[in-house]
Amino acid sequence: MASSDDNTEFMIDMLRECGLAHKTIIFVLEEFDLFAQGKQRLLYSLLDAMQSLTSQAIVIGVSCRLDADQLLEKRVRSRFSHRKLIFLPSSVDSLQRLMEHLLMLPEDSHLPTKYVMEYNARVTSIFSDKKFKGILNSLTDSDATTSHILRFLFRVVSYMDMDSGLLSMQSFMNALSSMRRQPKMDSLQDLSILELYILVCMHRLEDKEHSSYNFTTIMKEYKSVQDAYRTSDNYSHTVCFRAFEHLLDRELISFADKKGKALEYRPVKLLISSHELAQSLKLNTTCPAVLQKLLDRERYM
Amino acid sequence: MSQTVTPRRTTRSSASALSSVPAAPKYRPKPSPRRQLLVTAAAGPKDYDSVGELLDALPCRRAQAMDLIRLLVPAPALPLMLYGGAATGKTRTLLLALTNLRPSQRLVYASLRSLPSPRALFASLLSQLGATSSSTFSRQRLPEKPSDFISALRNALTGIVSQGEVVYLVFDNLDVVRSWDKGDQLLTLLFRLHDLLQLPQVVLVYVSSATPDAYYSMTGSVEPNYVYFSDYTVDEARDILIRGHPNPKLYSSFLSVALKPLFRVTRRVDELSAVLEPLFNRYSEPLGDLKAVSDEGIKRRLFEHVQPHLAVALSETFSVPMRASMHEIKDSGSAGKGSAKRQLGGREGLSTELEFHMSMSAKYLLLSAFLSSRNPATLDAALFDSTGGSDNRKRKRKSSQASLDMKDTMAEEMLMKGPGTFPLERLLAIFQCITSVSEDKHEVECADNKEPESGMTDLMSDVLLQLSTLCNSNFLSKSRSCPLESSARYRSNIDEDLALKVARSVSFPLSKYMYRR
Repeated sequence: MASSDDNTEFMIDMLRECGLAHKTIIFVLEEFDLFAQGKQRLLYSLLDAMQSLTSQAIVIGVSCRLDADQLLEKRVRSRFSHRKLIFLPSSVDSLQRLMEHLLMLPEDSHLPTKYVMEYNARVTSIFSDKKFKGILNSLTDSDATTSHILRFLFRVVSYMDMDSGLLSMQSFMNALSSMRRQPKMDSLQDLSILELYILVCMHRLEDKEHSSYNFTTIMKEYKSVQDAYRTSDNYSHTVCFRAFEHLLDRELISFADKKGKALEYRPVKLLISSHELAQSLKLNTTCPAVLQKLLDRERYM
Repeated sequence: MSQTVTPRRTTRSSASALSSVPAAPKYRPKPSPRRQLLVTAAAGPKDYDSVGELLDALPCRRAQAMDLIRLLVPAPALPLMLYGGAATGKTRTLLLALTNLRPSQRLVYASLRSLPSPRALFASLLSQLGATSSSTFSRQRLPEKPSDFISALRNALTGIVSQGEVVYLVFDNLDVVRSWDKGDQLLTLLFRLHDLLQLPQVVLVYVSSATPDAYYSMTGSVEPNYVYFSDYTVDEARDILIRGHPNPKLYSSFLSVALKPLFRVTRRVDELSAVLEPLFNRYSEPLGDLKAVSDEGIKRRLFEHVQPHLAVALSETFSVPMRASMHEIKDSGSAGKGSAKRQLGGREGLSTELEFHMSMSAKYLLLSAFLSSRNPATLDAALFDSTGGSDNRKRKRKSSQASLDMKDTMAEEMLMKGPGTFPLERLLAIFQCITSVSEDKHEVECADNKEPESGMTDLMSDVLLQLSTLCNSNFLSKSRSCPLESSARYRSNIDEDLALKVARSVSFPLSKYMYRR
């Protein structure tokens, strides 16, 4: 493997040769902000090599970050021409035009003409529908990038009616709802009753202004709740610890320190908000009423 | 290309889509592969059968299987991510769907849990694609850096794709990559594969137990489509557990009493089936003939028979069946030095005895470690005087409010901090004290016993060996050594219940020595 000095020398020589032969070289650097990490030796040597008179080269950097040019070192920035082209995300109208363009079938396709006409007519009627405007607005409210729209269109087409081969407003609505999942709420709905108890106990400890708590303090709270309410859900230490580990796996709670003592003594914290917890208890049909009461009590106390 | 579209700024994706329209439209012909599927389906019922078979083989996963079919089967497909909890059937559903519905495809499967490093991942993928077929080059050509890997992968895939096959790259257990060294780089690389390869006939599928928000990154890669695998409800779990059972009627009556209480503890079907199996054996014990039709009276009798075992099963996480030799060992007493032989025993009820076998010196060592962790060092002089025991433990206690509050806060602190550390010398000192006491007691009790009592005093070398055994079995753990003294400090990991059991087995009055706040 050649050293970087050899490579730089080679590059300077090549640039000179190409310049003499009147050939222009274009360097395109994708993810330019990643090149600007560290010492920026590549950028410096590249831009420096272009300073010589005989070279005809241009460096184009492409990046997602708007401040990519601010990341450059002083010596590199002085060799930079400070020309920036900013690509803004498209407006809603242009997105709609893009969608029409992508979804319409061309007239000269190899599919039967009758089908093509029926399909295009259906798509046009959907686009002029007011509900569609609503769907497009809610899509672009969260993310107006083209890739998001393309994913949405992929889903729409996957919901195509298999018998007729036509799209319908229902496919658009299904696609929209499938794009809008809330993973944490879904996880909360999948918990067992004991795991919900542990979460509620942690929430109570946080409400009682405990700055840090671990599994043994949570167990103490759990036992006090069981003593107060005498529910049928009084389980042993090992079973509760297994439920605790399940919660850690699902990343609804996590440890607050890097690496420490035994699992039972390391401080933990909740990764869900109290609003999400309250909502999930409401949505859970099998949740015992005492859990709701425990959560609400804390609010009003 | 329609020129009636008003000029707008061309973003990357739209430029690629527009430019590829005449040649091989990438995002356009969603209708055509569907149309083809429809045509072939209309031609022969084979496709319908395989869908039906697939849904039969995947109980209670109908919605997810339909989602997968919908999103995966057309060949130029966007990447897909399946996520959900453990034991929800993600890998199984995916592999069944791919092998059943699209036999003319190549499946390249990499389970990241069984691969130790990025290099192993690269090697596994390339070998599955048949790229490293020539043995002479196999060692040198294994790519180390991601750039080499991408070019090797692209070469391998182009070769396969040009023959008209579709390749599915499946990355299973993606969440373990986050804990790897340089795992972030690998994750961004994997998510950018779709952009980097630019091969429409290659479909990427990711399977992960972590939710998608664990993978959001700063680089602009194509985000995959998500399919969520929820956990099973009680009814779905019951259906899954009954499937394939040789005795469905009896089992379903058993499940109707046993499943609901266990379901409140855990919803994972693998844990439930592990617990339910021995319980079912207990349930069907009174029945002579398993095939007999059970009426209400029999059902009630069986339920009463299994109920105590159910209560036990709810309070433990696993049970290992007892071995017959355990009885003999228990009868012969626990005297005698021996290596610390361990045997896990199942519990008929919540027993108060120690379930495994330890040598005497190990037990005493464990007790001394427990006491050293639990008691503050200042108490040692009071507790372990020259007679080796403490007679007057009654201390005058102030019961004012301030001292009670202080006790509460100190109890809280102890819960938070866990067991304390102690140096080796303190452990050995307490060990000496305790064993000298017990020796006196044993000499008094077994004076006429012919069996020679094992000499406790000359155990020094063995004690250190026992200590290392206890450390390896995680009864003790080694802490950071104090920087001033540079001696090793240890910490005991056992809780009070186990210590009491051990003390009871050697008749040691542990409660007299424990410091109670």
